[in-house]
Amino acid sequence: MNATVDPRRKEKVNRYKAPQAQGQNGSGTGNEDLTPDYMNILGMIFSMCGLMMKLKWCAWFALYCSCISFASSRVSDDAKQVLSSFMLSVSAVVMSYLQNPAPMTPPWVSSS
Amino acid sequence: MKLMQIALILCCAVATYNFAVVAAASSFEDNDFAEFEDFDSDDDFVEVPVTVGGGAPAASKEVPVKEKEPVVKAAQIQDDEEDGIVEDEDEFFKDDEEFEGFDAGEIKEETGKKPAEPKLTVAKIPMHFRTHWDSYWMEMLMLAGLMVYFTNFFAGKAKNAKLAQLWLTTHKGLLDDNFVLVGDDGKVENENPGLMKESESLYTLWCSGRTCCEGMLVELKMIKRQDLVSLIAGLMRPQQDQVHIKVDLTRGVMDPFVFCVGTKKTITKAFKEYADLSKYCTLVSKPETRYNVPAGFSVLSEIPEATSAILENRIITALSRYQQYIDYIHISDQYSGPVQVEDANNLKQPETKPVLMAGFNLPKNGDMEAVKPLLILIFYLMERLKGYRLSKEGQQKAEKNRSRVEEEFLKSTHAARAEAAAQRREDKRKAEKERIMAEDDPEKQRRWEAKEQKRQAKKKAPKMKRLAVKSL
Repeated sequence: MNATVDPRRKEKVNRYKAPQAQGQNGSGTGNEDLTPDYMNILGMIFSMCGLMMKLKWCAWFALYCSCISFASSRVSDDAKQVLSSFMLSVSAVVMSYLQNPAPMTPPWVSSS
Repeated sequence: MKLMQIALILCCAVATYNFAVVAAASSFEDNDFAEFEDFDSDDDFVEVPVTVGGGAPAASKEVPVKEKEPVVKAAQIQDDEEDGIVEDEDEFFKDDEEFEGFDAGEIKEETGKKPAEPKLTVAKIPMHFRTHWDSYWMEMLMLAGLMVYFTNFFAGKAKNAKLAQLWLTTHKGLLDDNFVLVGDDGKVENENPGLMKESESLYTLWCSGRTCCEGMLVELKMIKRQDLVSLIAGLMRPQQDQVHIKVDLTRGVMDPFVFCVGTKKTITKAFKEYADLSKYCTLVSKPETRYNVPAGFSVLSEIPEATSAILENRIITALSRYQQYIDYIHISDQYSGPVQVEDANNLKQPETKPVLMAGFNLPKNGDMEAVKPLLILIFYLMERLKGYRLSKEGQQKAEKNRSRVEEEFLKSTHAARAEAAAQRREDKRKAEKERIMAEDDPEKQRRWEAKEQKRQAKKKAPKMKRLAVKSL
Protein backbone atom coordinates (compact mmCIF):
# COMPACT_ATOMS: atom_id res chain seq x y z
CA MET A 1 0.00 0.00 0.00
CA ASN A 2 2.73 2.39 0.97
CA ALA A 3 5.38 0.79 -1.14
CA THR A 4 5.30 3.64 -3.62
CA VAL A 5 6.40 6.34 -1.18
CA ASP A 6 8.66 5.85 1.77
CA PRO A 7 6.61 7.03 4.72
CA ARG A 8 9.61 7.38 7.01
CA ARG A 9 10.59 10.87 8.15
CA LYS A 10 13.77 11.38 10.07
CA GLU A 11 12.81 14.86 11.24
CA LYS A 12 9.64 13.55 12.85
CA VAL A 13 11.32 11.27 15.33
CA ASN A 14 10.03 11.75 18.87
CA ARG A 15 11.62 10.07 21.80
CA TYR A 16 9.62 7.84 24.07
CA LYS A 17 8.14 9.50 27.12
CA ALA A 18 7.70 7.56 30.31
CA PRO A 19 4.10 6.47 30.82
CA GLN A 20 3.80 8.45 34.08
CA ALA A 21 4.14 11.72 32.20
CA GLN A 22 1.54 10.54 29.75
CA GLY A 23 -0.76 9.46 32.52
CA GLN A 24 -0.84 12.97 33.94
CA ASN A 25 -2.15 14.28 30.66
CA GLY A 26 -4.99 11.84 30.98
CA SER A 27 -3.80 9.90 27.99
CA GLY A 28 -2.39 6.94 29.81
CA THR A 29 -3.56 3.46 29.21
CA GLY A 30 -6.44 4.10 31.57
CA ASN A 31 -6.91 0.61 32.85
CA GLU A 32 -3.83 0.28 34.97
CA ASP A 33 -3.39 -3.04 36.63
CA LEU A 34 -4.05 -2.54 40.32
CA THR A 35 -3.55 -6.15 41.40
CA PRO A 36 -0.11 -5.61 42.96
CA ASP A 37 -1.40 -2.73 45.07
CA TYR A 38 -4.42 -4.63 46.29
CA MET A 39 -2.32 -7.68 47.03
CA ASN A 40 0.17 -5.54 48.90
CA ILE A 41 -2.53 -4.15 51.16
CA LEU A 42 -4.18 -7.52 51.60
CA GLY A 43 -0.80 -9.05 52.44
CA MET A 44 -0.19 -6.38 55.02
CA ILE A 45 -3.58 -6.93 56.63
CA PHE A 46 -3.03 -10.68 56.73
CA SER A 47 0.47 -10.27 58.17
CA MET A 48 -0.88 -8.05 60.89
CA CYS A 49 -3.64 -10.52 61.68
CA GLY A 50 -1.05 -13.31 61.73
CA LEU A 51 1.23 -11.41 64.05
CA MET A 52 -1.32 -9.91 66.40
CA MET A 53 -3.93 -12.63 66.60
CA LYS A 54 -1.46 -15.51 66.18
CA LEU A 55 -3.39 -16.94 63.29
CA LYS A 56 -1.03 -19.10 61.31
CA TRP A 57 -3.19 -19.38 58.25
CA CYS A 58 -3.32 -15.58 58.06
CA ALA A 59 0.46 -15.46 58.00
CA TRP A 60 0.55 -18.04 55.22
CA PHE A 61 -2.05 -16.13 53.22
CA ALA A 62 0.05 -13.00 53.64
CA LEU A 63 2.99 -14.87 52.15
CA TYR A 64 0.87 -15.86 49.17
CA CYS A 65 -0.41 -12.31 48.73
CA SER A 66 3.11 -10.94 48.63
CA CYS A 67 4.03 -13.61 46.08
CA ILE A 68 1.16 -12.52 43.83
CA SER A 69 2.10 -8.90 44.36
CA PHE A 70 5.66 -9.73 43.36
CA ALA A 71 4.60 -11.68 40.28
CA SER A 72 2.37 -8.95 38.90
CA SER A 73 4.40 -5.91 39.92
CA ARG A 74 5.62 -3.54 37.23
CA VAL A 75 9.27 -3.11 36.48
CA SER A 76 8.97 0.58 37.25
CA ASP A 77 7.35 -0.16 40.62
CA ASP A 78 9.32 0.31 43.77
CA ALA A 79 11.08 -2.95 44.58
CA LYS A 80 11.34 -1.90 48.20
CA GLN A 81 7.60 -2.15 48.63
CA VAL A 82 7.47 -5.70 47.38
CA LEU A 83 10.48 -6.61 49.49
CA SER A 84 9.03 -5.12 52.65
CA SER A 85 5.73 -6.89 52.10
CA PHE A 86 7.68 -10.14 51.66
CA MET A 87 9.66 -9.54 54.80
CA LEU A 88 6.56 -8.73 56.79
CA SER A 89 4.75 -11.87 55.72
CA VAL A 90 7.79 -14.09 56.24
CA SER A 91 8.29 -12.63 59.69
CA ALA A 92 4.62 -13.23 60.42
CA VAL A 93 5.04 -16.91 59.55
CA VAL A 94 8.30 -17.27 61.48
CA MET A 95 7.00 -15.45 64.54
CA SER A 96 3.81 -17.44 64.72
CA TYR A 97 5.78 -20.71 64.63
CA LEU A 98 8.29 -19.48 67.18
CA GLN A 99 5.50 -18.59 69.55
CA ASN A 100 3.69 -21.84 69.08
CA PRO A 101 5.37 -24.58 67.08
CA ALA A 102 2.24 -26.71 67.03
CA PRO A 103 0.87 -27.55 63.59
CA MET A 104 -1.53 -25.13 61.98
CA THR A 105 -5.20 -25.51 62.53
CA PRO A 106 -7.25 -24.44 59.55
CA PRO A 107 -9.63 -21.54 60.12
CA TRP A 108 -12.69 -23.75 59.98
CA VAL A 109 -11.42 -25.84 62.91
CA SER A 110 -11.73 -23.96 66.16
CA SER A 111 -8.26 -23.70 67.60
CA SER A 112 -8.11 -24.74 71.21
CA MET B 1 12.11 -87.65 104.85
CA LYS B 2 9.06 -85.80 103.87
CA LEU B 3 9.78 -83.26 106.54
CA MET B 4 13.26 -82.81 105.15
CA GLN B 5 11.86 -82.22 101.70
CA ILE B 6 9.42 -79.58 102.90
CA ALA B 7 12.18 -77.80 104.88
CA LEU B 8 14.42 -77.79 101.81
CA ILE B 9 11.71 -76.32 99.62
CA LEU B 10 11.01 -73.63 102.21
CA CYS B 11 14.69 -72.77 102.41
CA CYS B 12 14.89 -72.48 98.65
CA ALA B 13 11.84 -70.27 98.57
CA VAL B 14 13.24 -67.93 101.24
CA ALA B 15 16.60 -67.80 99.50
CA THR B 16 15.12 -66.97 96.14
CA TYR B 17 12.91 -64.32 97.74
CA ASN B 18 15.88 -62.66 99.42
CA PHE B 19 17.90 -62.77 96.27
CA ALA B 20 15.08 -61.21 94.34
CA VAL B 21 14.81 -58.39 96.87
CA VAL B 22 18.54 -57.69 96.78
CA ALA B 23 18.62 -57.79 93.00
CA ALA B 24 15.72 -55.39 92.82
CA ALA B 25 17.42 -53.00 95.23
CA SER B 26 20.67 -53.02 93.29
CA SER B 27 18.88 -52.51 89.99
CA PHE B 28 17.15 -49.44 91.38
CA GLU B 29 20.43 -47.91 92.19
CA ASP B 30 21.95 -48.60 88.79
CA ASN B 31 19.06 -47.89 86.54
CA ASP B 32 17.61 -44.45 86.03
CA PHE B 33 14.38 -45.87 84.87
CA ALA B 34 13.90 -48.07 87.88
CA GLU B 35 10.87 -46.22 89.05
CA PHE B 36 9.11 -46.85 85.80
CA GLU B 37 9.96 -50.52 85.77
CA ASP B 38 8.74 -50.75 89.26
CA PHE B 39 5.40 -49.25 88.42
CA ASP B 40 4.77 -52.12 86.12
CA SER B 41 4.92 -54.71 88.85
CA ASP B 42 3.56 -52.92 91.89
CA ASP B 43 0.07 -51.73 91.99
CA ASP B 44 -0.56 -51.26 95.65
CA PHE B 45 1.49 -48.18 96.49
CA VAL B 46 1.60 -46.69 99.90
CA GLU B 47 1.39 -43.04 100.59
CA VAL B 48 4.73 -41.77 101.75
CA PRO B 49 5.55 -38.23 102.70
CA VAL B 50 8.19 -36.70 100.55
CA THR B 51 11.12 -35.18 102.31
CA VAL B 52 12.38 -32.05 100.73
CA GLY B 53 15.82 -30.58 100.96
CA GLY B 54 17.08 -27.14 99.92
CA GLY B 55 15.39 -23.86 100.34
CA ALA B 56 12.16 -24.58 98.49
CA PRO B 57 9.48 -23.00 100.60
CA ALA B 58 6.57 -25.00 99.24
CA ALA B 59 8.06 -27.93 101.12
CA SER B 60 6.84 -31.41 101.81
CA LYS B 61 3.75 -32.27 99.98
CA GLU B 62 1.73 -35.34 100.31
CA VAL B 63 0.33 -36.34 97.06
CA PRO B 64 -2.01 -39.23 96.77
CA VAL B 65 -0.44 -41.91 94.67
CA LYS B 66 -3.64 -42.37 92.75
CA GLU B 67 -2.95 -39.11 91.04
CA LYS B 68 0.17 -40.52 89.57
CA GLU B 69 -1.34 -43.56 88.01
CA PRO B 70 -2.83 -42.08 84.87
CA VAL B 71 0.38 -40.28 84.19
CA VAL B 72 2.46 -43.35 84.54
CA LYS B 73 0.08 -45.26 82.39
CA ALA B 74 0.21 -42.58 79.80
CA ALA B 75 3.94 -42.91 79.76
CA GLN B 76 3.59 -46.62 79.24
CA ILE B 77 1.01 -46.29 76.55
CA GLN B 78 3.47 -44.36 74.50
CA ASP B 79 4.77 -47.09 72.39
CA ASP B 80 8.03 -45.43 71.62
CA GLU B 81 10.43 -46.81 74.10
CA GLU B 82 13.39 -45.16 72.52
CA ASP B 83 16.05 -43.71 74.71
CA GLY B 84 15.45 -40.17 73.54
CA ILE B 85 11.88 -40.10 74.64
CA VAL B 86 12.57 -41.61 78.02
CA GLU B 87 15.38 -39.19 78.58
CA ASP B 88 12.96 -36.42 77.84
CA GLU B 89 10.72 -37.74 80.56
CA ASP B 90 13.60 -37.80 82.92
CA GLU B 91 14.51 -34.22 82.11
CA PHE B 92 10.94 -33.38 82.68
CA PHE B 93 10.93 -34.78 86.18
CA LYS B 94 13.94 -32.69 87.02
CA ASP B 95 12.16 -29.54 85.99
CA ASP B 96 11.91 -27.34 89.05
CA GLU B 97 8.95 -25.45 87.77
CA GLU B 98 6.93 -28.55 87.20
CA PHE B 99 7.80 -30.18 90.53
CA GLU B 100 8.03 -27.73 93.28
CA GLY B 101 10.14 -29.03 96.09
CA PHE B 102 10.85 -32.29 94.41
CA ASP B 103 14.36 -33.45 93.86
CA ALA B 104 15.09 -36.19 91.43
CA GLY B 105 18.30 -37.09 93.24
CA GLU B 106 16.38 -37.89 96.35
CA ILE B 107 14.15 -40.29 94.60
CA LYS B 108 17.09 -42.49 93.96
CA GLU B 109 18.07 -42.57 97.62
CA GLU B 110 14.53 -43.12 98.70
CA THR B 111 13.93 -45.82 96.21
CA GLY B 112 17.21 -47.36 97.18
CA LYS B 113 15.95 -47.74 100.71
CA LYS B 114 12.36 -48.57 99.98
CA PRO B 115 12.19 -50.08 96.57
CA ALA B 116 8.49 -50.84 96.56
CA GLU B 117 7.38 -47.30 97.30
CA PRO B 118 7.89 -44.75 94.54
CA LYS B 119 6.71 -41.31 95.51
CA LEU B 120 6.62 -39.13 92.53
CA THR B 121 4.59 -36.02 92.85
CA VAL B 122 3.75 -35.56 89.27
CA ALA B 123 1.38 -32.86 88.24
CA LYS B 124 -0.61 -33.17 85.09
CA ILE B 125 1.77 -33.50 82.18
CA PRO B 126 0.98 -31.09 79.40
CA MET B 127 0.29 -32.56 76.00
CA HIS B 128 3.59 -33.79 74.76
CA PHE B 129 4.97 -31.97 71.77
CA ARG B 130 5.68 -34.55 69.16
CA THR B 131 7.76 -33.83 66.12
CA HIS B 132 5.65 -35.96 63.87
CA TRP B 133 5.97 -34.53 60.42
CA ASP B 134 2.65 -35.88 59.26
CA SER B 135 0.85 -33.60 61.69
CA TYR B 136 2.20 -30.66 59.69
CA TRP B 137 0.29 -31.56 56.56
CA MET B 138 -1.16 -28.07 56.22
CA GLU B 139 2.28 -26.50 56.30
CA MET B 140 3.52 -29.01 53.77
CA LEU B 141 0.58 -28.11 51.56
CA MET B 142 1.37 -24.41 51.86
CA LEU B 143 5.03 -24.91 51.03
CA ALA B 144 4.15 -27.16 48.11
CA GLY B 145 1.74 -24.44 46.91
CA LEU B 146 4.50 -21.86 47.09
CA MET B 147 6.81 -24.11 45.13
CA VAL B 148 4.20 -24.71 42.46
CA TYR B 149 3.53 -20.96 42.32
CA PHE B 150 7.16 -20.12 41.73
CA THR B 151 7.65 -22.90 39.20
CA ASN B 152 4.70 -21.50 37.30
CA PHE B 153 6.07 -17.99 37.72
CA PHE B 154 9.30 -18.83 35.92
CA ALA B 155 7.59 -20.92 33.26
CA GLY B 156 4.92 -18.27 32.58
CA LYS B 157 7.44 -15.47 32.53
CA ALA B 158 9.56 -17.29 29.97
CA LYS B 159 6.54 -18.06 27.80
CA ASN B 160 5.35 -14.44 27.80
CA ALA B 161 8.82 -13.21 26.91
CA LYS B 162 8.99 -15.74 24.10
CA LEU B 163 5.62 -14.72 22.68
CA ALA B 164 6.48 -11.02 22.83
CA GLN B 165 9.78 -11.61 21.10
CA LEU B 166 8.01 -13.68 18.47
CA TRP B 167 5.61 -10.82 17.80
CA LEU B 168 8.50 -8.40 17.40
CA THR B 169 10.52 -10.61 15.06
CA THR B 170 7.45 -11.17 12.91
CA HIS B 171 6.61 -7.48 12.64
CA LYS B 172 10.10 -6.03 12.72
CA GLY B 173 10.48 -5.78 8.96
CA LEU B 174 7.17 -3.99 8.53
CA LEU B 175 7.93 -1.60 11.36
CA ASP B 176 11.39 -0.84 10.00
CA ASP B 177 9.81 -0.01 6.65
CA ASN B 178 7.51 2.52 8.27
CA PHE B 179 9.41 4.09 11.14
CA VAL B 180 12.85 5.55 11.51
CA LEU B 181 12.98 4.71 15.20
CA VAL B 182 11.73 1.31 16.26
CA GLY B 183 12.05 0.51 19.94
CA ASP B 184 13.05 3.24 22.35
CA ASP B 185 13.42 3.16 26.10
CA GLY B 186 13.31 6.91 26.59
CA LYS B 187 16.83 7.15 27.96
CA VAL B 188 19.33 9.66 26.64
CA GLU B 189 21.16 6.91 24.89
CA ASN B 190 18.89 4.28 23.57
CA GLU B 191 20.35 1.40 25.51
CA ASN B 192 17.76 -1.15 24.68
CA PRO B 193 16.28 -0.86 21.23
CA GLY B 194 13.43 -3.32 21.22
CA LEU B 195 10.61 -4.29 23.48
CA MET B 196 10.45 -2.72 26.90
CA LYS B 197 9.28 -4.89 29.73
CA GLU B 198 6.74 -3.06 31.88
CA SER B 199 5.83 -6.13 33.87
CA GLU B 200 6.05 -9.87 33.33
CA SER B 201 2.91 -9.73 31.23
CA LEU B 202 3.17 -6.30 29.60
CA TYR B 203 5.66 -5.35 26.92
CA THR B 204 5.74 -2.05 25.08
CA LEU B 205 7.37 -0.86 21.90
CA TRP B 206 7.69 2.77 20.85
CA CYS B 207 8.05 3.61 17.19
CA SER B 208 8.47 7.07 15.76
CA GLY B 209 9.52 8.94 12.65
CA ARG B 210 6.74 8.55 10.12
CA THR B 211 4.51 10.88 8.14
CA CYS B 212 1.21 11.98 9.68
CA CYS B 213 2.01 10.63 13.11
CA GLU B 214 4.14 11.62 16.06
CA GLY B 215 4.66 8.13 17.31
CA MET B 216 3.14 4.74 17.79
CA LEU B 217 3.02 2.88 21.06
CA VAL B 218 2.49 -0.86 20.85
CA GLU B 219 1.50 -2.60 24.05
CA LEU B 220 1.59 -6.36 24.20
CA LYS B 221 -0.76 -7.32 26.98
CA MET B 222 -0.26 -10.97 27.65
CA ILE B 223 -2.27 -13.28 29.81
CA LYS B 224 -0.71 -13.16 33.25
CA ARG B 225 0.92 -16.52 32.80
CA GLN B 226 3.37 -15.80 35.60
CA ASP B 227 0.60 -15.54 38.17
CA LEU B 228 -1.03 -18.86 38.99
CA VAL B 229 -4.04 -17.18 40.61
CA SER B 230 -4.77 -15.20 37.45
CA LEU B 231 -4.40 -18.36 35.39
CA ILE B 232 -6.98 -20.11 37.54
CA ALA B 233 -9.26 -17.07 37.33
CA GLY B 234 -8.74 -17.23 33.56
CA LEU B 235 -10.32 -20.67 33.53
CA MET B 236 -13.59 -19.11 34.65
CA ARG B 237 -13.31 -16.09 32.37
CA PRO B 238 -11.11 -16.89 29.41
CA GLN B 239 -8.65 -14.21 28.43
CA GLN B 240 -6.51 -13.69 25.39
CA ASP B 241 -3.16 -12.19 24.63
CA GLN B 242 -3.78 -8.75 23.20
CA VAL B 243 -1.88 -6.10 21.38
CA HIS B 244 -2.95 -2.48 21.84
CA ILE B 245 -1.70 0.02 19.31
CA LYS B 246 -1.95 3.74 19.88
CA VAL B 247 -0.90 6.13 17.17
CA ASP B 248 -0.50 9.80 18.11
CA LEU B 249 -1.51 11.58 14.92
CA THR B 250 -0.06 14.88 13.91
CA ARG B 251 -2.49 17.74 14.52
CA GLY B 252 -4.41 18.71 11.44
CA VAL B 253 -3.87 15.42 9.66
CA MET B 254 -7.39 14.18 10.30
CA ASP B 255 -10.67 16.00 10.08
CA PRO B 256 -12.64 16.44 13.28
CA PHE B 257 -14.71 13.38 13.99
CA VAL B 258 -14.92 10.57 16.51
CA PHE B 259 -15.53 7.01 15.51
CA CYS B 260 -15.19 3.56 17.00
CA VAL B 261 -15.90 0.05 15.79
CA GLY B 262 -15.38 -3.14 17.76
CA THR B 263 -16.89 -6.15 19.40
CA LYS B 264 -20.13 -5.48 21.23
CA LYS B 265 -18.65 -6.16 24.65
CA THR B 266 -15.67 -3.89 24.19
CA ILE B 267 -17.73 -1.11 22.66
CA THR B 268 -20.22 -1.11 25.52
CA LYS B 269 -17.36 -0.80 27.97
CA ALA B 270 -15.47 1.82 26.00
CA PHE B 271 -18.61 3.90 25.46
CA LYS B 272 -18.86 4.43 29.20
CA GLU B 273 -15.17 4.62 29.85
CA TYR B 274 -13.78 7.04 27.31
CA ALA B 275 -14.64 10.71 27.54
CA ASP B 276 -14.59 11.42 23.79
CA LEU B 277 -16.81 8.46 22.94
CA SER B 278 -19.36 9.21 25.64
CA LYS B 279 -19.52 12.92 24.78
CA TYR B 280 -19.55 12.89 20.99
CA CYS B 281 -20.75 9.51 19.83
CA THR B 282 -24.01 7.65 19.63
CA LEU B 283 -24.40 3.93 19.35
CA VAL B 284 -25.47 3.03 15.83
CA SER B 285 -28.46 0.73 15.79
CA LYS B 286 -28.29 -2.15 13.33
CA PRO B 287 -24.74 -1.48 12.11
CA GLU B 288 -24.88 -4.73 10.10
CA THR B 289 -27.40 -3.33 7.63
CA ARG B 290 -26.31 0.27 7.79
CA TYR B 291 -22.57 -0.05 7.43
CA ASN B 292 -22.29 -3.68 6.44
CA VAL B 293 -20.06 -4.57 9.38
CA PRO B 294 -19.94 -8.26 10.25
CA ALA B 295 -22.35 -9.52 12.91
CA GLY B 296 -21.04 -9.16 16.43
CA PHE B 297 -19.55 -5.73 15.85
CA SER B 298 -20.92 -2.45 17.18
CA VAL B 299 -20.28 1.01 15.82
CA LEU B 300 -20.06 4.30 17.69
CA SER B 301 -20.38 7.24 15.35
CA GLU B 302 -20.41 11.01 15.61
CA ILE B 303 -20.75 12.06 11.99
CA PRO B 304 -22.43 9.46 9.77
CA GLU B 305 -20.62 10.47 6.61
CA ALA B 306 -17.23 10.04 8.25
CA THR B 307 -18.27 6.67 9.61
CA SER B 308 -19.35 5.41 6.22
CA ALA B 309 -16.18 6.81 4.67
CA ILE B 310 -14.02 4.91 7.15
CA LEU B 311 -16.05 1.73 6.87
CA GLU B 312 -15.48 1.39 3.14
CA ASN B 313 -15.16 -1.88 1.32
CA ARG B 314 -11.57 -2.68 2.09
CA ILE B 315 -12.02 -2.06 5.81
CA ILE B 316 -15.21 -4.12 5.86
CA THR B 317 -13.40 -6.97 4.13
CA ALA B 318 -10.58 -6.78 6.66
CA LEU B 319 -13.09 -6.66 9.51
CA SER B 320 -14.86 -9.77 8.35
CA ARG B 321 -11.69 -11.66 7.49
CA TYR B 322 -9.97 -10.92 10.79
CA GLN B 323 -13.08 -10.74 12.90
CA GLN B 324 -11.71 -13.13 15.51
CA TYR B 325 -8.61 -10.99 16.01
CA ILE B 326 -10.09 -7.49 15.99
CA ASP B 327 -11.20 -6.15 19.34
CA TYR B 328 -11.70 -2.47 18.50
CA ILE B 329 -10.57 0.38 16.28
CA HIS B 330 -10.97 3.84 17.76
CA ILE B 331 -10.36 7.02 15.76
CA SER B 332 -10.76 10.37 17.46
CA ASP B 333 -9.55 13.94 17.19
CA GLN B 334 -10.76 14.66 20.72
CA TYR B 335 -9.11 11.88 22.65
CA SER B 336 -8.60 12.78 26.28
CA GLY B 337 -8.33 9.41 27.93
CA PRO B 338 -10.82 7.83 30.26
CA VAL B 339 -13.70 9.82 31.71
CA GLN B 340 -12.41 12.05 34.49
CA VAL B 341 -14.04 12.01 37.85
CA GLU B 342 -16.38 14.98 38.15
CA ASP B 343 -14.33 17.55 39.93
CA ALA B 344 -15.99 20.91 40.42
CA ASN B 345 -12.67 22.59 41.07
CA ASN B 346 -11.21 21.44 37.78
CA LEU B 347 -11.65 24.56 35.68
CA LYS B 348 -9.65 23.43 32.69
CA GLN B 349 -11.02 21.23 30.00
CA PRO B 350 -8.92 18.08 29.58
CA GLU B 351 -6.34 18.32 26.84
CA THR B 352 -7.32 16.54 23.67
CA LYS B 353 -5.28 15.08 20.87
CA PRO B 354 -5.95 13.18 17.67
CA VAL B 355 -5.30 9.48 17.96
CA LEU B 356 -5.85 6.23 16.17
CA MET B 357 -6.12 3.32 18.56
CA ALA B 358 -6.69 -0.34 18.00
CA GLY B 359 -6.83 -3.48 20.04
CA PHE B 360 -6.21 -6.89 18.52
CA ASN B 361 -6.30 -10.37 19.95
CA LEU B 362 -3.27 -12.51 19.32
CA PRO B 363 -3.79 -16.02 18.02
CA LYS B 364 -3.78 -18.71 20.68
CA ASN B 365 -1.34 -20.94 18.84
CA GLY B 366 1.25 -18.16 18.62
CA ASP B 367 1.03 -17.90 14.85
CA MET B 368 2.00 -14.25 14.63
CA GLU B 369 2.03 -14.20 10.82
CA ALA B 370 -1.77 -14.44 10.99
CA VAL B 371 -2.04 -11.03 12.64
CA LYS B 372 0.58 -9.27 10.56
CA PRO B 373 -2.04 -7.88 8.13
CA LEU B 374 -3.62 -6.05 11.06
CA LEU B 375 -0.59 -3.80 11.37
CA ILE B 376 -0.83 -3.12 7.65
CA LEU B 377 -4.47 -2.21 8.30
CA ILE B 378 -3.32 0.39 10.83
CA PHE B 379 -0.97 1.97 8.30
CA TYR B 380 -3.70 1.91 5.71
CA LEU B 381 -6.09 3.66 8.12
CA MET B 382 -3.48 6.32 8.80
CA GLU B 383 -3.14 7.06 5.12
CA ARG B 384 -6.89 7.03 4.76
CA LEU B 385 -7.32 9.57 7.58
CA LYS B 386 -4.72 11.76 5.99
CA GLY B 387 -6.53 11.77 2.69
CA TYR B 388 -10.12 11.97 3.90
CA ARG B 389 -11.90 15.33 4.17
CA LEU B 390 -15.37 15.98 5.57
CA SER B 391 -18.00 17.78 3.50
CA LYS B 392 -19.04 21.28 4.50
CA GLU B 393 -22.10 20.04 6.36
CA GLY B 394 -19.97 17.51 8.15
CA GLN B 395 -17.49 20.19 9.14
CA GLN B 396 -20.27 22.37 10.48
CA LYS B 397 -21.77 19.52 12.41
CA ALA B 398 -18.43 18.64 13.93
CA GLU B 399 -17.89 22.29 14.86
CA LYS B 400 -21.30 22.44 16.46
CA ASN B 401 -20.67 19.30 18.47
CA ARG B 402 -17.38 20.61 19.75
CA SER B 403 -18.86 23.92 20.85
CA ARG B 404 -21.76 22.06 22.48
CA VAL B 405 -19.37 19.93 24.53
CA GLU B 406 -17.40 23.00 25.52
CA GLU B 407 -20.56 24.80 26.56
CA GLU B 408 -21.64 21.83 28.65
CA PHE B 409 -18.29 21.85 30.34
CA LEU B 410 -18.50 25.55 31.07
CA LYS B 411 -22.00 25.10 32.44
CA SER B 412 -20.97 22.28 34.70
CA THR B 413 -18.15 24.36 36.10
CA HIS B 414 -20.15 27.61 36.29
CA ALA B 415 -20.59 27.52 40.03
CA ALA B 416 -16.96 26.71 40.59
CA ARG B 417 -15.84 29.48 38.25
CA ALA B 418 -18.16 32.02 39.94
CA GLU B 419 -16.74 30.99 43.27
CA ALA B 420 -13.21 31.39 42.01
CA ALA B 421 -14.03 34.87 40.67
CA ALA B 422 -15.60 35.89 43.99
CA GLN B 423 -12.54 34.60 45.79
CA ARG B 424 -10.32 36.68 43.53
CA ARG B 425 -12.37 39.82 44.20
CA GLU B 426 -12.27 39.19 47.91
CA ASP B 427 -8.49 38.74 47.84
CA LYS B 428 -8.11 41.98 45.92
CA ARG B 429 -10.24 43.89 48.42
CA LYS B 430 -8.29 42.50 51.36
CA ALA B 431 -5.05 43.52 49.78
CA GLU B 432 -6.39 47.02 49.24
CA LYS B 433 -7.55 47.22 52.84
CA GLU B 434 -4.18 46.20 54.11
CA ARG B 435 -2.52 48.75 51.92
CA ILE B 436 -4.78 51.56 53.19
CA MET B 437 -4.37 50.51 56.81
CA ALA B 438 -0.64 50.47 56.45
CA GLU B 439 -0.63 54.09 55.43
CA ASP B 440 -0.43 56.75 58.17
CA ASP B 441 -3.33 58.77 56.96
CA PRO B 442 -6.43 58.51 59.22
CA GLU B 443 -8.42 60.62 56.80
CA LYS B 444 -7.78 58.21 53.96
CA GLN B 445 -8.63 55.26 56.18
CA ARG B 446 -11.89 56.80 57.27
CA ARG B 447 -12.79 57.52 53.67
CA TRP B 448 -12.02 53.96 52.66
CA GLU B 449 -14.14 52.59 55.51
CA ALA B 450 -17.05 54.79 54.56
CA LYS B 451 -16.74 53.59 50.99
CA GLU B 452 -16.61 50.03 52.11
CA GLN B 453 -19.74 50.47 54.27
CA LYS B 454 -21.57 51.99 51.38
CA ARG B 455 -20.54 49.09 49.19
CA GLN B 456 -21.79 46.57 51.72
CA ALA B 457 -25.10 48.38 52.06
CA LYS B 458 -25.44 48.49 48.31
CA LYS B 459 -24.71 44.82 48.08
CA LYS B 460 -27.58 44.05 50.42
CA ALA B 461 -30.10 46.63 49.32
CA PRO B 462 -30.62 46.24 45.56
CA LYS B 463 -32.03 42.75 45.85
CA MET B 464 -35.15 44.16 47.45
CA LYS B 465 -35.47 46.81 44.83
CA ARG B 466 -35.06 44.43 42.02
CA LEU B 467 -37.65 42.16 43.53
CA ALA B 468 -40.03 45.06 43.69
CA VAL B 469 -39.39 45.88 40.05
CA LYS B 470 -39.89 42.30 39.09
CA SER B 471 -43.18 42.06 40.91
CA LEU B 472 -44.50 45.02 38.98
